[in-house]
Amino acid sequence: MLRACVFSTWRSHSRKRGLSTAANNTLSPHHSIYVSNSSNPYFNLSLEDWLFRHKNHKEPLLLIYRDVPCVVIGRNQNPWKEVNMVASRTTGVPWIRRRSGGGTVYHDLGNTNFSIHLPRSSFDRHATAQVVLRAVRSLGVDANINDRNDICVGKDKVSGSAYKIVNNRAYHHGTMLISTRLDVLGDLLRSNKPTMETRGVASVRSPVCNLQQYEPSVSHEGFVEAVIDSFRQEYNIEDSTHTVEENVNTLGIDYIHKGMEELPRWDWAFGQTPEFTYNISRTFDWGTVTARIRSKHGIILNCSFELPDGHQSISDDLVQDQSRQLEGQRYGFLDETKEGIQRMMEGPGAEIWQWLKMEMDT
Amino acid sequence: MLSRVRFRRLPGRLSFVSHFHTSYPSWAKVHKTFKLADIGEGITECEVIRWSVNPPDSIAAFDALCEVQSDKASVEITSPFDGTVKELLVKEGEVARVGSGLCIIEVDEEVAVSLEEDAPSASQQNNASSGLQPSEAKPKEQTPFPTKRRPHPLDPNISPEQQLLLLGRNHANVLATPSVRHFAKQKDVELSLLVPGSGKAGRIEKRDIEAYLQIGISATNTNSATSTTSKDDPAEDAIVEFGRTRWNMYRAMTKSLEIPHFGYSTSLDLTVLHEILPIINSHIPRHYLPTSLHPPHTPAFSPSAIYPQPASPDVPSSGHYTKLTYLPILLKTLSKAMLEWPLFRSSITPSTSTSDKPTLTVRPNADISIALSTPTGLYTPTLQRVNTHSVYSVASQLKHISHLGRQIPSGLTPAEMPKRGGTVTVSNVGGIGAGEGASPVLVPGTGIAIVAIGRAKWIWDVDRGDGSGERRLKVNVSWSADHRVVEGAELVAFIESWRSWVEHPQRLIAEGV
Repeated sequence: MLRACVFSTWRSHSRKRGLSTAANNTLSPHHSIYVSNSSNPYFNLSLEDWLFRHKNHKEPLLLIYRDVPCVVIGRNQNPWKEVNMVASRTTGVPWIRRRSGGGTVYHDLGNTNFSIHLPRSSFDRHATAQVVLRAVRSLGVDANINDRNDICVGKDKVSGSAYKIVNNRAYHHGTMLISTRLDVLGDLLRSNKPTMETRGVASVRSPVCNLQQYEPSVSHEGFVEAVIDSFRQEYNIEDSTHTVEENVNTLGIDYIHKGMEELPRWDWAFGQTPEFTYNISRTFDWGTVTARIRSKHGIILNCSFELPDGHQSISDDLVQDQSRQLEGQRYGFLDETKEGIQRMMEGPGAEIWQWLKMEMDT
Repeated sequence: MLSRVRFRRLPGRLSFVSHFHTSYPSWAKVHKTFKLADIGEGITECEVIRWSVNPPDSIAAFDALCEVQSDKASVEITSPFDGTVKELLVKEGEVARVGSGLCIIEVDEEVAVSLEEDAPSASQQNNASSGLQPSEAKPKEQTPFPTKRRPHPLDPNISPEQQLLLLGRNHANVLATPSVRHFAKQKDVELSLLVPGSGKAGRIEKRDIEAYLQIGISATNTNSATSTTSKDDPAEDAIVEFGRTRWNMYRAMTKSLEIPHFGYSTSLDLTVLHEILPIINSHIPRHYLPTSLHPPHTPAFSPSAIYPQPASPDVPSSGHYTKLTYLPILLKTLSKAMLEWPLFRSSITPSTSTSDKPTLTVRPNADISIALSTPTGLYTPTLQRVNTHSVYSVASQLKHISHLGRQIPSGLTPAEMPKRGGTVTVSNVGGIGAGEGASPVLVPGTGIAIVAIGRAKWIWDVDRGDGSGERRLKVNVSWSADHRVVEGAELVAFIESWRSWVEHPQRLIAEGV
């Protein structure tokens, strides 16, 4: 009995050997053209970073990927300013902070992302934008590049770009709207906080449109082929295209694995937020309160209050106490197990407290 | 430690000039302001997002310094120097203008020496101590830092025109196809130097770039702002400037005068190794062989059938070889001797204060530096933890390092040339000439002993056999060691330990290599 089992195991191994050898091969960062079959934004961003850091820095590299719906903010942006948190929670569309600079974009399967990596000394934004422009034009769309190096059709943007530069390497990556849900995009990026003033990069809002609006035959696959051709031509690449799967092997690459873990963690997602102040007012039955919250790196530095004249129900002491309790707390994530905070939630200042919480949650 | 090509110091800003009365150059702590360099693309200011360091952290060249943001670009900036962070000039969240200071770093800098009156005594002293140095014509004017060196990408002190050249902007009068431009950038060649090219209408072709590279980088002289060359009659003496690596060697060897050297030479009997070498060569692991030599089909029966073997390490093609030489075996046996002798795994602990008694830092592993002579100069890359690598692995690393070194410009990176070099250096001069003896020189910071290995040759050894003698393969090894740290008897005993491994490699079987 035992022998029969061993024999059949051996047989099935030898039959599967061809497949398993392929699956056991670890992904190499030394190819030139990669297309990701994963639509997991955490995986794709970490894959991009891994290729960026591990490829021979003198050789060009192209990566193309698509993500399931998500909002991607720039490295130094304020998520509360850029993202409509309520819409994000209701729709279940997450937001992610990427590693390159620039503004906020919406990804879904109707949007294709390209990423061109080059040696720093030969990196030129305009040249890389031209590579993509050529691809778009070859699909029959009369596109051009505006003065911010974005690809547009007429007055509408079809693509947004961002860059990252390190010692000896740089990349230009960007979106290409092919058939994105522009309505969903609008809701998620409409955060509407004019009284939130942030240091750091604000997004430059522009009207956008899909390539399919101009040329219905444009597809993700078509765009991928066109960009690869354009890239090959520009940099004289003969390497074959490499598809990347999100599987045991690629997830097993330590750098990628760690990157995927880091992206959603509070330290990166919120803790990288630059300093901002938020001035808000609210009228209660007994009067109007103005609060001014100052935060840096996702932590509340202080919160000062202005109370209506002659207020009786709310004492100055109470408000001072509230300020103190807020200091050092994570903006939007108050530690409700803390005794002082619980007191706030139940005491006479509860109304103010609830209001602040609500504002920080939007 | 001889520096890698890109490591640089800012020109100018000398704190004082000393006259050459003593034989030793002096060192001073200099505060260097690191300025925000032009990122290119017309950007005039950047916001500082994050500092990775704070005063008084120490920092090494290429360590992460800070991250800045300019409109859509996020830029990671690394330190151009080794030193200590003294002051951050721009806070997180503040904006820095291009050209303004980002931070101040305190650097140990060798003070330049006036060469005017005292040049003859200087050259005498140098020639006396290091007989291996050919004499060079000294430059007439004082140029402490040769400007032919390619500046660090973030050097803010070069003029905008030079920046433009370095960042490789496309000039209107330089004709070349995009693929040629890319090839030029890959090879670090400035296209505007090759105008007009050999193609149509003065177009620059790939062959122009290749021809230019053949001439060598000594032909480059883009930044001639402060250097001068003699205008003497070319038919008589010519004044030649030091190239970057030769200048580094000059300064390092001048520093080496601090070290009292003593030497010891002997010869090792390689006959037993010679006999086993063919067997070792026929069992080179597959992943070190060039792919063309891999068997064309997988065998019918394989050890991996019941359980996949761990994946073999990824070996770059520059690390493939078909046969071993003696050098990797000598290095491996040397590492064995180093494990027995902690003294030769140690280096003098770098200290900031010269009044403290020095200490030795003993490493658990044997790090050996290799003197590598390349078209761009002399480097000493380091093989780390040689005791943990097999002879095959050492051979592969050597092959890979020489490949990198032979590139123009050099492909060696801080990974191959870590700041903390080996404790023992090996110079394989036998590869170049059939020398009989050598007196290699130690440079401060590179370890406490250096050995020059000669060329193996067959000799008649009358001590062997039953009185009638025997033909034996021997190689001369000449050692120099730092007599402040190593005693004569210790060096001799260490060498005898090494000899025991080399002449009785059978011991490796019992140890399991």
